[in-house]
Amino acid sequence: MDEKLASAQAAWESNLQNKVLKRFPERREKFDTESGVEVGRLYSSADLPDFSYEENLGFPGEYPFTRGVQPTMYRGRFWTMRQYAGYADAAETNARFRYLLEQGQTGLSVAFDLPTQIGLDSDHQLARGEVGRVGVAIDSLADMELLFKEIPLDKVSTSMTINAPAAVLLAMYIAVAEKQGADTKKLAGTIQNDILKEYVARGTYIFPPEPSMRLITDTFAYCAENLPEWNPISISGYHIREAGSTAVQEMAFTLADGIAYVQAAIDKGLDVDKFAPRLSFFFNAHKNFFEEIAKYRAVRRMWAKIMRARFGAKNPKSWMLRFHTQTGGSTLTAQQPDVNVVRVAFQALSAVLGGTQSLHTNSKDEALALPTEDSARLALRTQQVIAYETGVADTIDPLAGSYLVEKLTDELEAAAWEYISKIDEMGGAVRAVEAGYMQREIQDSAFRYQQEIENETRIVVGVNKFQMAEEHHEGLLRVDPNIAEKQVARLQRVRATRDNKAVNGALVKLRSEALNGSNVVPCILDAVRAYATLGEICGVLRDVYGEYKPTSTL
Amino acid sequence: MSNPIRVLVAKPGLDGHDRGAKVVAQALRNAGMEVIYTGLRQTPEQIVEAALQEDVQVIGLSSLSGAHMQLFPAVVNILRQQGASDVLVVGGGVVPEEDIPYLKSAGIAEIFGPGTSTKAIADFIRQHFEGDGLTLTRVDHIGIAVNSIEASLDFYSSTLGLHCSGVEEVTDQKVKVAFLPLGESEIELLEPTTPDSPVAKFLQSRGEGIHHIAYRVPDIQSALSQLKAEGVRLLDQEPRTGAGGAMIAFLHPKASGGVLTEICQRDSE
Repeated sequence: MDEKLASAQAAWESNLQNKVLKRFPERREKFDTESGVEVGRLYSSADLPDFSYEENLGFPGEYPFTRGVQPTMYRGRFWTMRQYAGYADAAETNARFRYLLEQGQTGLSVAFDLPTQIGLDSDHQLARGEVGRVGVAIDSLADMELLFKEIPLDKVSTSMTINAPAAVLLAMYIAVAEKQGADTKKLAGTIQNDILKEYVARGTYIFPPEPSMRLITDTFAYCAENLPEWNPISISGYHIREAGSTAVQEMAFTLADGIAYVQAAIDKGLDVDKFAPRLSFFFNAHKNFFEEIAKYRAVRRMWAKIMRARFGAKNPKSWMLRFHTQTGGSTLTAQQPDVNVVRVAFQALSAVLGGTQSLHTNSKDEALALPTEDSARLALRTQQVIAYETGVADTIDPLAGSYLVEKLTDELEAAAWEYISKIDEMGGAVRAVEAGYMQREIQDSAFRYQQEIENETRIVVGVNKFQMAEEHHEGLLRVDPNIAEKQVARLQRVRATRDNKAVNGALVKLRSEALNGSNVVPCILDAVRAYATLGEICGVLRDVYGEYKPTSTL
Repeated sequence: MSNPIRVLVAKPGLDGHDRGAKVVAQALRNAGMEVIYTGLRQTPEQIVEAALQEDVQVIGLSSLSGAHMQLFPAVVNILRQQGASDVLVVGGGVVPEEDIPYLKSAGIAEIFGPGTSTKAIADFIRQHFEGDGLTLTRVDHIGIAVNSIEASLDFYSSTLGLHCSGVEEVTDQKVKVAFLPLGESEIELLEPTTPDSPVAKFLQSRGEGIHHIAYRVPDIQSALSQLKAEGVRLLDQEPRTGAGGAMIAFLHPKASGGVLTEICQRDSE
């Protein structure tokens, strides 16, 4: 360490304390990030006494991947521009998909409605008011065929935000590809399939943890064997952050969940290097610009260490944390919604500077409703500007070596390790979820965040400062209120025209396979091909597995 | 102190986003209310059942999934069917402004959109139950204790130019009252008719001067119950007939900073 520099810096600081600050006080006594990491006045190499380029950073595409997972990063190819979309029925969503692809989007991302995410058919009593609202309603293979009509599944990659019934929707996707005559070995995409964060933060669980973990490892095994290009899981911090966590909690809880999935698969007898290369992640791009960049870099380095040291993975691909990013939905404001375009641009920039593999940019109207076609296009254009106009993608990991960014990367990593050891001590992520530990930690952070807004220590432009009288916001997307009726009619047609004997046979087989604990994915695929509905398939699994009862944490 | 307000925070439908619901629940709790949170995936029937079982005065509904147009009114309707329409129902979440008029007409008292402060929500609930105080429509009259109406009228009529519209004896108060209207209020001159009249006692201890201020209320019964609910000390627990046929009641001067305060309701209103 450069002692001369350290003492010069100390002298500069004391001069500041004694002379300057008395006359020109700073805006705040203490500055910190969203995770409460204190941000200093100035950083220099004196703040990184133990910094080693080789150990801390390495080279892109090499352990510990701090600088990125690909050797050329965006010089080879930009990140995948993947806008999450879906509403109403399969036909309407298919039209939005084709529009987005025409506009230069490079991957699909399917939003399903809540009944679909919870494994209920559209005519279920609990589906009242929810059909086609937050995503597209899918009841059977017939809907899935419509959803991907004229979109060749061997040419596009598709991400599906589906968790508890992920195996069923994956089976439907495979069945559509078969009908299109596509080579299923070439199917590329992701199912979210991350149940632990559903218990913690997102709420679309069905089954209890134990059988849910089994379903997930079943999909790992099935994909490793049959869909080599498919990511069978997207381990998600996004929703943990949306539920109110800090950046450090987002990192730590996501990695703890990842550890639990890897351990479960290993315990089931899978070879880590067979499935780990296809694990993928999903993070939030939130407000504190440098903290977010440091977060992506730190989390990449941590996963590499976890996979190599903890799980003994040998394949470098198993060490790589590849991730999708979405800008922070909860940072959008209903007040002065045009300002959201600016927020989204900064957040997206942080994800790119942090080395994301794919990106969704939120639309400005999402605090009020689902995005219109116009606002979804503007959101896509925002990332196209970052890619094609700013030049930030022309060199790899451009902020490496910034004293601040490297220091923050180290500090976030250290804070996240602390949480991970705490969770390890509790017996791992599943136990921590069951005890409500992560839920409570997130809840506390969310409450603190809201208090900071209300006591104005945290400023949100247009909400607690720079407010103005506003006209009503016009032109929001409205989902056709008759969509539920239409969807139920189609569902009934499917039930009336399919071979019900084949359906029953497939469901009986599924029940017995679920009971005896063998891999259920092949039977689910058979049931799907026979046009068994999502609700019927999940109904059988509900019978066998039971349903999750949440821990109350309030 | 009255009992804390009891609130049920509920998540109708399938939406799993409960950050807002939990933050609001915690904030209302910190504001001194008793809060019960239902957890996720509640049908309107389950929510009303929980509300009745927990005997809450308020239900706070949260939905971010767009199902509010169906689920929020359903809760209000079931409450009505169960004879519990006095439960205050408020909502929040991702609700477009154009949906709000319909929701309000369906009986949801208020919708709190994104960016609402938890304090605004707590204040709204508190004001609903504690009110903004009484509804006063005007100063009805100012009562002035005098030894002799006849002698005093010299000043009020001849000097100030007020016109005496009549004199009346109120036997149960042992007082004679002269009315001098001015604008929408009046001055009342009070002369005791017996030595044990309250006004006589006032004159003995303080001499001539302002005796009380009377405010007009549209509904004296409900004003009295509101005052009782808030624990305000009263001289009259029930309304009685005062001068000019008005229904009147006095607050205890200790409750009103030493100024004897009357509320009154007149049938003309």
